[in-house]
Amino acid sequence: MQKRSAMSLRRRLVPYGLLGPGAIWLVLFFVIPMYFMGEMSLRSGVPNTPEGFTFSWEFSNYSEALEGRGEQLRRTFFYAGTATIFALLIAYPLAYAIAVKVSRRWRLLLLFAVIAPFFTTYLIRTIAWQTILADASPIVDLLKFLTLVSEDGRVLDTGGAVIAGLTYNFLPFMILPIYASLERIDLSLVEAAKDLYASARQAFLRVTLPLTMPGVVAGVLLTFIPAFGDYINPEILGGANNTMIGNKIQSTYLEESNYPEAAALSFLMMAAVLVTVLAYIRIAGTEAFVGTDDEER
Amino acid sequence: VNSKTKLAGFATAIAALVLALALAACGGDDDGVGGAEETEAVTARSGPVEGEIVISNWPGYIDPGAKGTVAEFENETGVQTDHKEDINDNVVFFNKLKPQLDQGDSGGRSIFVVTDWMAKRMYDLGYLQELNHDDLQTVFDNILPQFEESTVDPERKFSIPWQGGLTGVFVDTNQAPEIDSVSDLFDPKYKGKVTMLTEMRDTVPLVLQSEGIEPDEATKEDWLAAIDKLREARDSGQIRRFTGNEYTEDLTSGNIVAAIGWSGDSSLIGREGVEWRRPTDGCDLFFDQMVIPIGAPNTAAALGFMNFVYRPEVQVDIAEYVNYVTPVGGVQEILTQRDPELGGDPLIFPTEEDTQGCSEDPDPPGSAEDIAEVEGAFQEVVSG
Repeated sequence: MQKRSAMSLRRRLVPYGLLGPGAIWLVLFFVIPMYFMGEMSLRSGVPNTPEGFTFSWEFSNYSEALEGRGEQLRRTFFYAGTATIFALLIAYPLAYAIAVKVSRRWRLLLLFAVIAPFFTTYLIRTIAWQTILADASPIVDLLKFLTLVSEDGRVLDTGGAVIAGLTYNFLPFMILPIYASLERIDLSLVEAAKDLYASARQAFLRVTLPLTMPGVVAGVLLTFIPAFGDYINPEILGGANNTMIGNKIQSTYLEESNYPEAAALSFLMMAAVLVTVLAYIRIAGTEAFVGTDDEER
Repeated sequence: VNSKTKLAGFATAIAALVLALALAACGGDDDGVGGAEETEAVTARSGPVEGEIVISNWPGYIDPGAKGTVAEFENETGVQTDHKEDINDNVVFFNKLKPQLDQGDSGGRSIFVVTDWMAKRMYDLGYLQELNHDDLQTVFDNILPQFEESTVDPERKFSIPWQGGLTGVFVDTNQAPEIDSVSDLFDPKYKGKVTMLTEMRDTVPLVLQSEGIEPDEATKEDWLAAIDKLREARDSGQIRRFTGNEYTEDLTSGNIVAAIGWSGDSSLIGREGVEWRRPTDGCDLFFDQMVIPIGAPNTAAALGFMNFVYRPEVQVDIAEYVNYVTPVGGVQEILTQRDPELGGDPLIFPTEEDTQGCSEDPDPPGSAEDIAEVEGAFQEVVSG
């Protein structure tokens, strides 16, 4: 009797033990910084004075943070959203080809090619795009020849360049989860659908796509969230009229020295992402997100 | 029931431990007041020049390599010198280090090279150590008379000049040879082919002067009006982007035909026909200063480094490489022997006439609150 209860106690503790390291990490590097950020966002004062900022429940920081930033918010949603859609359109066929169509040897090689750019840092890859998209580059000449870019137009330092950079940089985060879910699909289900007189299109839309929704949802989240908060791509590839909220937070903090407003803006950005993601999961369905019970078994 | 309470106790214990750890880690004063504010300004301590130091400077602002000035200093004194080129913008650098400076910690650095107005701001906030002139014999033996005092530091209590220069316009003479003023940069002919600097005290005074307003006499409204003019130019696509040193790359790859830029940067631009011009409608003079922050380790070696770079035979190598205005006497003679053309370069050795009528990276007028308002408006344009 004694022994059994000891056993069960240990058993009960196991999940806590497993959660422990992650929980401590989260508390130390997320919850506590979050507290300090929240506290900072409610301070008031004048930048660059010896008095600094003092805590005063200054809720107006939040309204001030949004003042005149509507254009940037709209732009941030537009750039991150467009990049996510492009990434999905590029990633799905590619992941499908890798997972279903090619031989095993090619599969490894192609997966390696998807991951290979990660061997160079994000920053260097983005700076390389500056050269690729420079005004005098052959690629821009080609785009002009195809009349995709007007004769006196440019690509670098435009919104298009920022979207292209975001799409490129986050593409692997879209490919890998979709590949993982495609790779697990039982292809006999597709065959069965075709046996039951489904066209290729119907089989894809009714069988393959629903089965890979968890991968698509994960990929969309892994692309949209970092793209939304990105600051490197607009900084390096965008011009004076293409900044996103991330740049605004950077400049409010580092250039204006207005720490409370920067903190408030960061919170608002998190809220915006959270609301968007919740709405998305709501539409896509939690099943698609965490998988159904059937799949788990 | 028993196991449940134990469990709760266990969880509470962990939570308490984590909290204690966190508070210990994030401790220190939390009221946002500068660490050195309550105490008197400290004077940098002198002593034997040895050990190791870390210096923060701007990119390309000292002659590099095995025969460069840093290596020479190391060879002669044995001081391990880590010369970081990690300043690309005064305010950004300041704000990155501010949390540490508030705790009286210089981030391991013993010298910063910042522009004079920033040196003053740091001093006023209690972030700098004062300098004893007796420890800087070589500096004061060799400094050119016009640099013995500065508007921000009349007695040289906390800053020693590093290099200076003029802010003007770089022009790609093959593309737009006719550009010679700041007003020209607003000509719709060059739409999308022009960049300006993210440093407000460089860009705005030049715009003010192009409007016929003396920056030193400008009111806050004048500043805001000039910033509005920049906003319109940004919205219309006239100004391609606002940059730090990166404009040199845009000029090199031919993305732009003109930029507001710093006189010494010619050497960083790899394109034929790009030249720096003093605008016909204005001129801005800046000087970067060596300062010793509070909490700096090994101030003795920092003072030693300052003395070292003020030897004319050392300074000449820096001047020859960076092509900025040197504050050290006797350099022109040596450089003229080496390279008569550089020795006569008015951008390295400007006469009084060359710098006449130049504004000196002025602050906007008014209180800290007014300055913050103007800076806010400018940032709204730069990153808007």
